[in-house]
Amino acid sequence: MFYKALDGVKVVEFGNLVTGPFCAKILADFGAEVIKIEEPCCGDVSRKEEPFYKDVPGIENSGLFQYVNMNKLGITLNPETATGKEIFVQLLKGADIFVENNPPKRMKELGLDYKFVKEINPRIVMTSITPFGQTGPYKDYKGGELVATHLGGVGYLSTREGDATKEPLKYPAHLFSFQAGLCAASATLGSLYRQKLTGEGMQLDVSEQESVIQNVNSAIARYSYMKQISRRTDVLDLAPHHILPCKDGYIYASFVEEHQWRRFVEVMGHPEWADNELFANAQIRSQYWDALKPLMLEWTMQYTVEDIYRRSQEKGIPLGAVRNAEQVLEDKQMKARDFFVDVERKGEGKLTFPGVPYRFSEIQREAPTAAPLLGQNNEEIYCGRLGYSKRDLTRLKEAGVI
Amino acid sequence: MNIAPLKGIRIVSLTWVWAGPWMGAMLADMGAEVIKVETRQRLDAQRVVKLTKDSVEDLNMGQFNFTNRGIKSCTINMKEPEGIETFKKLVAVCDAVITNFAPRVLPGWGLGYEELKKIKPDLIMVTLPAFGSIGPDKDYVSYASTIEAVGGLNISFGYPGEPPVLSGTYPADPVGGVYGAAAFMAALIYRNETGKGQLVDVAQSEGVTSLIPEVIMEQVMNGRTRPRMGNRDDIMAPHGCYPCKGEDKWVAIAVGTDEEWKAMCKVMGNPAWCKDEKFVDQYSRWKNQDELNRLVAEWTKNYGPYDVQNLMQKAGVAAGSSLDIGELVRDPHVVKRGAIFQQNHKVAGEINIYRSPWKSALTEKNRPAPLLGEDNDYVFKKLLGMSDSEIMRLTEKKVIY
Repeated sequence: MFYKALDGVKVVEFGNLVTGPFCAKILADFGAEVIKIEEPCCGDVSRKEEPFYKDVPGIENSGLFQYVNMNKLGITLNPETATGKEIFVQLLKGADIFVENNPPKRMKELGLDYKFVKEINPRIVMTSITPFGQTGPYKDYKGGELVATHLGGVGYLSTREGDATKEPLKYPAHLFSFQAGLCAASATLGSLYRQKLTGEGMQLDVSEQESVIQNVNSAIARYSYMKQISRRTDVLDLAPHHILPCKDGYIYASFVEEHQWRRFVEVMGHPEWADNELFANAQIRSQYWDALKPLMLEWTMQYTVEDIYRRSQEKGIPLGAVRNAEQVLEDKQMKARDFFVDVERKGEGKLTFPGVPYRFSEIQREAPTAAPLLGQNNEEIYCGRLGYSKRDLTRLKEAGVI
Repeated sequence: MNIAPLKGIRIVSLTWVWAGPWMGAMLADMGAEVIKVETRQRLDAQRVVKLTKDSVEDLNMGQFNFTNRGIKSCTINMKEPEGIETFKKLVAVCDAVITNFAPRVLPGWGLGYEELKKIKPDLIMVTLPAFGSIGPDKDYVSYASTIEAVGGLNISFGYPGEPPVLSGTYPADPVGGVYGAAAFMAALIYRNETGKGQLVDVAQSEGVTSLIPEVIMEQVMNGRTRPRMGNRDDIMAPHGCYPCKGEDKWVAIAVGTDEEWKAMCKVMGNPAWCKDEKFVDQYSRWKNQDELNRLVAEWTKNYGPYDVQNLMQKAGVAAGSSLDIGELVRDPHVVKRGAIFQQNHKVAGEINIYRSPWKSALTEKNRPAPLLGEDNDYVFKKLLGMSDSEIMRLTEKKVIY
């Protein structure tokens, strides 16, 4: 955990990849105990996702898995066996929260849908995160990062001032799957608060498509007011509002307020541009962007990312450094806030991971623990909590239950 | 009991633009009473920002109406000492203060957490600055794109072999808002158990970085920057966005297994090239994806995006239309789930509102975004017990303003 805010809260997670496991990670980061259930054959699908430590694929080597599953306990369990199902039920009886991101059909087949779960534990909060939710015509459709991005309306808008001959563009990695997991965690915490007051449970039906929709704010506003369809190829009345190359990388430059532009032309050593009527405001600069761009590049190409970023920010200009991961890891602001954390991996030494973006004033921050190896906590949970003997453990293993 | 989760929780919101208001709207969806304190002295930029050069400028016709629905509005001018006093009276009857103003603003008004705590000892306060409220760059200024760039999002965002691109939708803001909401509720549960309030500081830039671990871990584990990959996946192929019939129409298709590949070939009528050795297994398809994508596009361009989507999904292949905003609002699934619904706003008329991205039995009914100061009477009379003459005096003095 990072902060013990949810002391004593018990979570069972049964999921794969990002959405469900990231939702549970956030609860674990806040101090809830998360028992992650993985299927004995192969574990969470993300164990096979890049990047791999030192480029060696292996179920204990995925950077994605290890980040998303830190602070959790891990057990293996096959709910398709009768004994496995019985154990699953035992775990759910003792849980406050159940997080899962399986296809609705599969949960029904396993007899682990909300209808069943609330019978065995009426006070449980069950959070299901699926590509399209539990209801509606697409509920059994397959999803994933790419498909959700497009069916949620963000794909069509990506990227800004895009090239008409090129296809709409996905965002990097699993950004929107993570955002869906984050939304799910937020809803789950609200329901947990209510559970603590009323003792009542709830089902939360979280849709990745709907999570993507929250990002299309300006397009939906334009559509609502003017019935205009925003396109990635639209040239907007704002320049510069672009990523521009510089000596050793890229910067993001935008000057919505004119005083910012006037200060920036001074930083560039061209204060006279402030009076050039072709550059008089963002809208006019947009019309003459083809002429202005090379003039700006002449200056930016002489300076480094860091140099331009610092000099601009010192003058109160909201210019951004387009940082690569190495620079993010070295960022002095994030360092001052101890954002990155070193986590001990079993037998491998310490590895650096992103931490959490929040700081609590009344709760001491604690060191996080590494993601579980496949089945790492089997003995602790099965013998220590559920009363099985070590010999039972062997039998369960041979029977394909764990 | 049919009570929304945060019923009875009252929150003062000193927020503007997107991240802060969205946090408030989400908490309102969960039943909290969120009171936004704003002023004509300096309006929320989203009340007035023009959507295009032809659009009307009206302070009730901005993007504001989409990110501030579900909340209340009162007007207090903090430049007046009596404004500060009035604000403090409001804090005394609330559970929490949320803000995404720059870190120097509230302390500058004498309204930092330590001051507010004197008024309400178990107050929860969530601050949502771009880079956090401590640290050497805390006063750096930003738009969402600044935060995304500095947080490491853009460097791996773009077509293969081309420069990085700028996002068209600015996810840093909604991400910050949702993180704020999550952290608020963790603090609320903690207060419930211990009686203690606290200050929670959420750095939006760290929020972005925390959602792209693949980018960070590629550097940590292998010393590399994750390349710009367009629509490609690390292992899957086909995995892309393909042209369809019509102008600027596209469909996304993602194939993860040999079984799905066979199903996709069948949908396409099993053309001869499907059996080509170059596409025989996942690795071959990935290695030869340039050619593969060209061939898939030759087929998709004969159909509409929805046709491809539904044919593929029926065969068990992940596919989705690249919906424009008009199609999204009318999408049968979106409509059926009420993910976007029509709302009647007093000034703006019928507008399309998206709700928080989950359904539960207890989501609050959504009230339209408030007009500026719409709830002044409720706040000053009912909550603070001010008399009509006092309200008139403060209004004339531009304290209530």
